[in-house]
Amino acid sequence: VNGNQERGWNDPPQFSYGLQTAAQGAPKRTPLNKRVPPPQLTGSPCPVPGDFPSATAPMTPPTNPLAPPCSMNTPPRPCPVAAPPLGGVMATPPPPFPVVEHTDSASSQSENEPDVDDVVTLLNWALTACRHTVKKQVCNDVAKRLKLFEDMWKSGKLSLPVRRRMIGLVQELKSCNWDAADEIHRALIVDHVNEVGQWMVGVKRLIAETRNLNPDLLHTQEVDQSLDTSSAGNSD
Amino acid sequence: MATYQEFIQQNEDRDGVRFSWNLWPSSRLEATRLVVPVSCLFTPLKERPDLPPVQYEPVLCSRANCKAVLNPLCQVDYRAKIWACNFCFQRNPFPPSYAGISDVNQPAELMPQFSTIEYIVQRSPPNPLIFLYVVDTCLEEEDLQALKESLQMSLSLLPPNALVGLITFGRMVQVHELSCEGIAKSYVFRGTKELSSKQIQEMLGLTNPSASGPQGRPAAPQDPAVTCRFLQPVHKVDMNLTDLLGELQRDPWPVPQGKRPLRSTGIALSIAVGLLEGTFPNTGARVMMFMGGPPTQGPGMVVGDELKTPIRSWHDITKDNARHLKKATKYYDALANRAAVNGHSIDIYACALDQTGLLEMKCLSNLTGGHIAMGDSFNTSLFKQTFQRVFSKDHNGEFRMAFGGTLEVKASRELKVSGAIGPCVSLNTKGPCISENEVGVGGTTQWKICSLSPSTTLALYFEVVNQHNAPIPQGGRGAVQFVTQYQHSNTQRRIRVTTVARNWADAQSQIQHIESSFDQEASAVIMARLGVFRAESEEGPDVLRWLDRQLIRLCQKFGQFNKDDPTSFKLSETLSLYPQFMFHLRRSPFLQVFNNSPDECSYYRHHFVRQDLTQSLIMIQPILYSYSFHGPPEPVLLDSGSILPDRILLMDTFFQLVIYHGETIAQWRKAGYQEQPEYENFKHLLVAPVDDAQEILQTRFPMPRYIDTEHGGSQARFLLSKVNPSQTHNNLYSWGQETGAPILTDDVSLQVFMDHLKKLAVSSAA
Repeated sequence: VNGNQERGWNDPPQFSYGLQTAAQGAPKRTPLNKRVPPPQLTGSPCPVPGDFPSATAPMTPPTNPLAPPCSMNTPPRPCPVAAPPLGGVMATPPPPFPVVEHTDSASSQSENEPDVDDVVTLLNWALTACRHTVKKQVCNDVAKRLKLFEDMWKSGKLSLPVRRRMIGLVQELKSCNWDAADEIHRALIVDHVNEVGQWMVGVKRLIAETRNLNPDLLHTQEVDQSLDTSSAGNSD
Repeated sequence: MATYQEFIQQNEDRDGVRFSWNLWPSSRLEATRLVVPVSCLFTPLKERPDLPPVQYEPVLCSRANCKAVLNPLCQVDYRAKIWACNFCFQRNPFPPSYAGISDVNQPAELMPQFSTIEYIVQRSPPNPLIFLYVVDTCLEEEDLQALKESLQMSLSLLPPNALVGLITFGRMVQVHELSCEGIAKSYVFRGTKELSSKQIQEMLGLTNPSASGPQGRPAAPQDPAVTCRFLQPVHKVDMNLTDLLGELQRDPWPVPQGKRPLRSTGIALSIAVGLLEGTFPNTGARVMMFMGGPPTQGPGMVVGDELKTPIRSWHDITKDNARHLKKATKYYDALANRAAVNGHSIDIYACALDQTGLLEMKCLSNLTGGHIAMGDSFNTSLFKQTFQRVFSKDHNGEFRMAFGGTLEVKASRELKVSGAIGPCVSLNTKGPCISENEVGVGGTTQWKICSLSPSTTLALYFEVVNQHNAPIPQGGRGAVQFVTQYQHSNTQRRIRVTTVARNWADAQSQIQHIESSFDQEASAVIMARLGVFRAESEEGPDVLRWLDRQLIRLCQKFGQFNKDDPTSFKLSETLSLYPQFMFHLRRSPFLQVFNNSPDECSYYRHHFVRQDLTQSLIMIQPILYSYSFHGPPEPVLLDSGSILPDRILLMDTFFQLVIYHGETIAQWRKAGYQEQPEYENFKHLLVAPVDDAQEILQTRFPMPRYIDTEHGGSQARFLLSKVNPSQTHNNLYSWGQETGAPILTDDVSLQVFMDHLKKLAVSSAA
């Protein structure tokens, strides 16, 4: 996603949380740190580090016959598809690299359409378990936000990537992979704060409280019942 | 040459140290003749994924005024279990726990590969980290919304046990109580009335009004989480705070036509500093201030509220027409020092289209190691991602930021410490190693760095004190030890010790060896920091003259030439890049202030005097790579001659990434050849610099601006101004007036600059 060109001149592109975290440890592909001494000082023509050719290479046309022509004095050849890139606005580069995961709008992939009830069930399972030991007010606050999440989903206010990732999050929650669930919540709030900002903190708290519970509490009768009744309701 | 380059690189990789000279001149006189002082760049917390910390206390020399840490340079008698300090030669017994050591069973700190070693020490219960948000509400709606979202997001990035607090300000200042239940309460302060630290603490109910004493004392923070309602653990208050942030409104005071909003930044900061002083002195804490415009009322105001009076420009400053400058700077300086004394750091996130007062406020961050981020709006990816990266984590999943740092430097007795330049304050400790010639923050061998990152780098300056013709010191090597104590983001207290040594050499007989040990990259940055430091207090032209003089002297000392024959002048490879660095430094925004606003200049300088060597060099002399069909991407001269129609140039100035398409490339791109399958190689060519830029964009802090431009494009000026002689300030410096002083011109091309330099270096009249 390009930066906000209206508010900030030359705003850089926006990268997803996942991409930035991965990039932190990755070795550089092309370390750009070499310099060239000026020819006047070394007495020899421009000794360049490495095997790189001299900076003043002559302007010969590329020998590759498929390269673009080197002279624009000839009339432009008729191209079968001659669409100029992002017309007019030269300041914005066409982004060839993947940035924020805008997989799609709802028009495609309806066969993978996540089901809100699956997600809500799992969240409520965790919340029910928490109610034994966690303060009532905290649980109610979490419940309030889970409801907001559900409403937003049902009224179509959440984009597909958010919905998909929430499915992933509750799966991790169910498997007691707390760190993984936490990381997904973090990625979601960084990449989609405007969609999730109001309710995600409830999910965050839920993960934090659930992971501290006595594991037995996660499988008490009433908790499992809440899982059973919902899945019974969903079975076709 | 290759061996020294490898040596230099290995040392930097292992110890985070780069010395100007890697063979040290053995007398003071010879050292001064070398022009560039014996000095180094030191990165205290250089990332060392391969260095496991040890879980015991360091062993210290028992001499009271030494206390150096046991290190690989020490002589050890394994039989008698005694070690000799390499700095003061005191013989020390090993502690009882070392009874089992032998030459085949060495403790880590004696092994040469552990010239840098980190100790985890636990002397008191760990303190949680503290984050205090100070938020300007005089923002446009869109900006405020974006800022609120960023702050809500940040609650998910903070360590769960960290304490968090919120102060909002506009015309008034509000300190918000963060309780878990009930109605949100806040304490309101007038934005104009200056209060003492004690008054602030009293008004916030932080003092204990016990009947036994005539004055209230601050409540002892035994269980700070309970006693301080304004700083609460994130994991407890995240939901409430999310709501509180979500409900923040723009400052309600109406702003009349032709006026600026009344912003009480000065009072807001003083309350923040006072709050932390009273509740958590000497604990790692971070004040994060977000502002969308300049302070316009109360102490520390930078400009009045009349829009028709613009904020001070360089012109105003040179004409002594900046009404509020001195007073505001003094005000923030005092606050900065108070924060630094307590180990608290202050970040400034300033997003506005006009200046916000960074010139006056920069000491808040410069003295405490806090960040300055400068953007156009909070609703930009530049701000959002820069802010996210404050919370970046290392390979262990731990935060990179560190707190409460102190650095102590010890040296062999032939060396004294002149001072440091970087984001630090002096701890004013006296000792035997202190030189009388102060450079930067001098008069001490200990500094405080309240906030550090793995890239925080100090420049340290030494003085050789050996007399001329005194024999080379016994053992032939001098040594320096850097001891950094700090609070890790996981709240552990740690001590990192780096001990390095270099050989002494007699400059009279070994000048060629000394020359080959020269590190031109480190020296360029070290001299540049000196220049920037001087520029803060001296006149611009004087600094340039000083820089020129040093360069000419260096060339006279080490150049190979025939007297009065400029064409014969040559520099060896170890120095061949140095004059170019100086050329670009002279033209850089760090020393040429008139091309940028005072705020921009403060911003650039702030980042320059704290970055590591590689990034600092990029700032001095931007990297320029050329992409073409002729071969792989190659570095090219930062000169207009490198701009060719069939090349794409990628320029990295650290603050900007510029991709410039030559005329022919631009025409091809416009015609859309990259879309056609038979011109796929052209598509790859277009993408290559973008991909390389992406790697930088994804990791650099702060996030740079990104400019895609071409021949004839208006944004091409970013490239052209770097490669061409500057045209804007020809007459601002009237140099050459002094009789006989050799001066280099500053508005010429690299070629002409070099010609001048050669002429002056070979001149027997110099």
